[in-house]
Amino acid sequence: MPPDGLKNSRKRKQVDEDTYTPQNTVQLEMLTDEEDTGPVSSDDDETEEFPEIDSGSDSESDQEGIEDDDEQQSDDDSDELDSDASLRIFPKAKTEISDITGKPKRVYPEIEADYDSDSSTEDAPNRVGNIPMHWYDDLPHIGYDINGKKVLRPARGDELDKFLATVDDPDAWMSAFDKNLQLDKPLTNEELDLIRRLYKGENPDIGYDPYEPMVEWFTGKGKEEIMPLSAAPEPKRRWIPSKWEKQKVMKIVRAIRQGRIVPNKPKSTNKMEFFSIWSDQPSALQQPPAPAPKVRLPTNSESYNPPEEYLPTTEEQEEWKQKDREDRERDYLPQKYPSLRLVPAYDRFIQERFHRQLDLYLAPRVQRVKLNMDPKSLIPKLPSPSTLRPFPNYKSLSFAHTKGRARCLSVSPDGAWVASGDEGGVVSLWEVNVGRETKRWQFKNKVSSIEWCPRMDVSYLMIGVEEELHFLIPPNLPDDIYSRTKSLLSPSTLPAQPSPSPLTWESISLDGQSIDKPILSIRLPSSSGTPTHIAWHRRGDYVATVSTGGPQNNVWIHQMSRRHSQAPFKKVKGSVQVVLFHPTKPHFFVATQQYIRIYNLSEQQLLKTLNPGMKWISSMDIHPSGDHLIVGGYDRKLCWFDLELSDKPYKSLRYHTRAIRSVCYHPTYPLFASSSDDGSIQVFHARVYNDLLTDALIVPLKILRGHQVQEGLGVLQIKWCTRQPWLLSSGADGQVALWCS
Amino acid sequence: MSSQQPVTLTTHTAYPLPTQKYLIPTSWKRYHLSQLVNKALSLSQPIPFDFIIRDQILKTSLGEWCSENNVGEEETIEIEYVESVLPPQKMSDFPHDDWVSSIICDIQGCLITAAYDGHIRAFDYSKNMLASAPVHSAPITSCTIVPSTTTGDTLTIASTSHDLTASLSHFKISPSSTPSSNTPGTILATLHLHTSPLSSISSNTSGTHLLTSSWDGLIGLWDTTIPIIDEVPNINDDDGHEKKKKKRKTENEIKPRRKAPINVLKSHSGRVSKVVFGETINSDIAYSCGFDSTIRIWDIQNGVSTHTITAAEKPFLDLAISPDGRHALSTSTDRTLTLYDLHSKSTPQSTSFLHPSTPSCLSLSTNANQVVTGAYDGIARIWDLRSTKDAMTSFKIGGSDEGGGVMKKILDVDWKRGVVGVAGEGGVEVWRVGEEARK
Repeated sequence: MPPDGLKNSRKRKQVDEDTYTPQNTVQLEMLTDEEDTGPVSSDDDETEEFPEIDSGSDSESDQEGIEDDDEQQSDDDSDELDSDASLRIFPKAKTEISDITGKPKRVYPEIEADYDSDSSTEDAPNRVGNIPMHWYDDLPHIGYDINGKKVLRPARGDELDKFLATVDDPDAWMSAFDKNLQLDKPLTNEELDLIRRLYKGENPDIGYDPYEPMVEWFTGKGKEEIMPLSAAPEPKRRWIPSKWEKQKVMKIVRAIRQGRIVPNKPKSTNKMEFFSIWSDQPSALQQPPAPAPKVRLPTNSESYNPPEEYLPTTEEQEEWKQKDREDRERDYLPQKYPSLRLVPAYDRFIQERFHRQLDLYLAPRVQRVKLNMDPKSLIPKLPSPSTLRPFPNYKSLSFAHTKGRARCLSVSPDGAWVASGDEGGVVSLWEVNVGRETKRWQFKNKVSSIEWCPRMDVSYLMIGVEEELHFLIPPNLPDDIYSRTKSLLSPSTLPAQPSPSPLTWESISLDGQSIDKPILSIRLPSSSGTPTHIAWHRRGDYVATVSTGGPQNNVWIHQMSRRHSQAPFKKVKGSVQVVLFHPTKPHFFVATQQYIRIYNLSEQQLLKTLNPGMKWISSMDIHPSGDHLIVGGYDRKLCWFDLELSDKPYKSLRYHTRAIRSVCYHPTYPLFASSSDDGSIQVFHARVYNDLLTDALIVPLKILRGHQVQEGLGVLQIKWCTRQPWLLSSGADGQVALWCS
Repeated sequence: MSSQQPVTLTTHTAYPLPTQKYLIPTSWKRYHLSQLVNKALSLSQPIPFDFIIRDQILKTSLGEWCSENNVGEEETIEIEYVESVLPPQKMSDFPHDDWVSSIICDIQGCLITAAYDGHIRAFDYSKNMLASAPVHSAPITSCTIVPSTTTGDTLTIASTSHDLTASLSHFKISPSSTPSSNTPGTILATLHLHTSPLSSISSNTSGTHLLTSSWDGLIGLWDTTIPIIDEVPNINDDDGHEKKKKKRKTENEIKPRRKAPINVLKSHSGRVSKVVFGETINSDIAYSCGFDSTIRIWDIQNGVSTHTITAAEKPFLDLAISPDGRHALSTSTDRTLTLYDLHSKSTPQSTSFLHPSTPSCLSLSTNANQVVTGAYDGIARIWDLRSTKDAMTSFKIGGSDEGGGVMKKILDVDWKRGVVGVAGEGGVEVWRVGEEARK
């Protein structure tokens, strides 16, 4: 193989020589360079400087002499080289008689500066080497030649000369300053070519061919390697079935036969599936696994011998001990022991392991959520009650019923008189502002409800006693009102009864001082219970009564002008507690124990059912605008309904500690109040806006206390004074109180 | 010696001191200050004084007052001294069966009460009933004496009632030895205007005119002459035989004439609770207050309201006018007694005196610097108008001072000649109060 390579290289060299014939021209040019160098040495500048420097003339002559020698030697060498260049590596030395010493010396022929030679610039006269040339700036010479003679500084012209030289010599641009010789030296064609190649970004080597044909050493035609890897015969296992496989299969077959393995067994679904929660591969069914909790690495302060700055002071220790475990910044106290031997057993080891187990088990433990918020910020911003005056805030006077609980009261439409009834059957009429009883009626059974007729042109009040309704005329009426009232309640000609009714209307023609007795009585059907609630229509012609306590509920609507009563409902689901007339529309509100139904009386149909979500409704009242309803319940809740909004309460308030007995809107002021069995009355500011976007504003104003709780009963009924922000309340203690602003 | 406080002493009484700065030991109390004033004035008979510092009556020592009000020792305090009100002394009580709504102490040695049972009674101070007459069938709400030229024992009394009328009646007060059971009172005329119960009646000082106020918001102006014939026809005479019975009954007696008003003053939008004449003789000015939170000043001759003071949500209950007509004092249901300056037309300046209960009535003293109010908690309080914080003194009506009994509402007070008559739920009590009481 190697001989082939050598052959090839030689071949290539030959190819090179053949292909690079144009390089002969370059060599020719180099010859011209040599020719150029000749005149440089014998330049005009040098000749001009020569006469000034006397000492240098010897060396110059020497140089010339040497040069002559060199030429001769080169001639000789060339002869010798021609003859035996291939035989001898080193040139043959000649022995000459030195001019200086006069002794024979061996002179080697000049080494041709070839490609392989160390330096192509050996012929440079200055041999100082690669030193900063400014060392010779002050000297007349610029260095030494190979023979140790001084190389004199070549003469250098001034700037004008340089300019003239560039003008005269068209090739001046092709010269470069040679530091070593301290003169401008014209560049050779090779160097110019090198510069051009570098400038063009080509390979600076002339002889480099980037598109050299590939030499195929190992591949190609006729060079394929034919070499078998093994000559061993093929093993048996290549064609004989495996014995171990057979045994394995037979084992499975046996197991299948014995029934230990059931093939195509349906996967049991009821079996619990367990997941390796820490496994690397997330199962498809499960969430990506949570990273396992890791024990924190100990720090300096947990060392048995921590640096002093980690040790807590006594105050810090005290503080740490005072804090709860959850509040502590770290769950240990750094302690210092002089040696590891003195470190006691870790007291919290078991605890900590246990918690670690719980951590791994993902055991949920009680976590105290800290809320660092100002509790005051949770309270909604409400206007101050003092800006919402007037509202009742003190008890001005009270009127005492001695015979029993004051069940009911009613305020006259002009707001000057109060009628209150008690369980002893007494109905008292008294002035709101002085509290002096002016009239008293006595009945046999307990008075359960009183309501004043809202008409201003007549004046009478209606009371409900056991299965009877009575109508009373207050004393000291003006004559015209008295006569109108009398003719309404006890007309001289009775209107015809439209249909037979289970109720009987009985009028007493007035004679003498008969205002002591009711002028008109309505007898409800027997065993219908006590009429506990009376609701007047706004115009004062219709009045609805509700009787409870009987075997069945009775809602009756009575028409005063026609002296006629009718039952609006044939059958009512649940027991009716309260009824109400809408102040402007022909709507009728019926509250059973849990629901409130709104009926349209003119169209005779159910409009809406309200669900206040309470167990037992005790009372309700409608806002004078007719859009809002408050409902109080025995389960202490008070619900505010916006009738245009929803069937569900707009607000559900629960602030009484006992059952709510009575709720009431003020007819003119934005106030409402509720009374309860806890003996207190709560007064609220309730501003209702006309636009539908603004919700009603409810502000608690005042808790009025003063009624005694007797036998679990507190304030049984409240009513507002018509023209003043005053509240009247009747309590189980027999007191009827006036609360003034 | 303890520290001293520089003070100056001023007064509006008839006992002025030269303006001068005194250094008073801070341990001194009212008694010491009063002695100082007495010595400085060198009075022959010692007069007790009360001292008012910044609208407060000095009840503690000067030093304690200073520490309470954060007054330094360097500050000069201006102290006003007034003749002190002696602790009221109860003279006698007159138990009534029914509530007494009105009391008059105008007449020397005699007091007249009007009760809810419709009777007007007269007593002397030794608990003897001089006269008693049923004037109204319904409760009487107020009464007044009409000053007249009639001499002797006969008085003309005007009264208002729940029966929608007021009445003028002659009332004969006979000596206690011979109680006149036979008709001590004669109803001269009934005044018919109002459609609601009447609340108050007032007579001018010459006794020629009457003013009535009612719950229906009207004020009636009447003269006191008794007409010969009925000015208002009786509707009830025609219908109902029960009236005939009554008529038959009254035929025996002198039938009272039915009078109509001269003028009706309409401006109040709510109940008028009190109307009074101006204090000067033949005054044409009347003052009224009502539940519509206004005090109105009326020109009676023209029947128009000349000035209105509107308060915020103060339903007024009673009204009194100072003798010079400058100030109005009024009680309201918001538990205040309020002093209004009537002459400041633009914004009425007011001073409030707070009560723990509803003050239903008030009466000015003769020197017009002190006022007594009666409240629903049964306590009558005497206020000095210069001291707004506390009442000068107070006394409880109805039984012992320990307060064991129930509260008895006071409905009317009258303060004349050193005597305060207090009428209310528990009857009438007479207390001796004021500077005249000493003499």
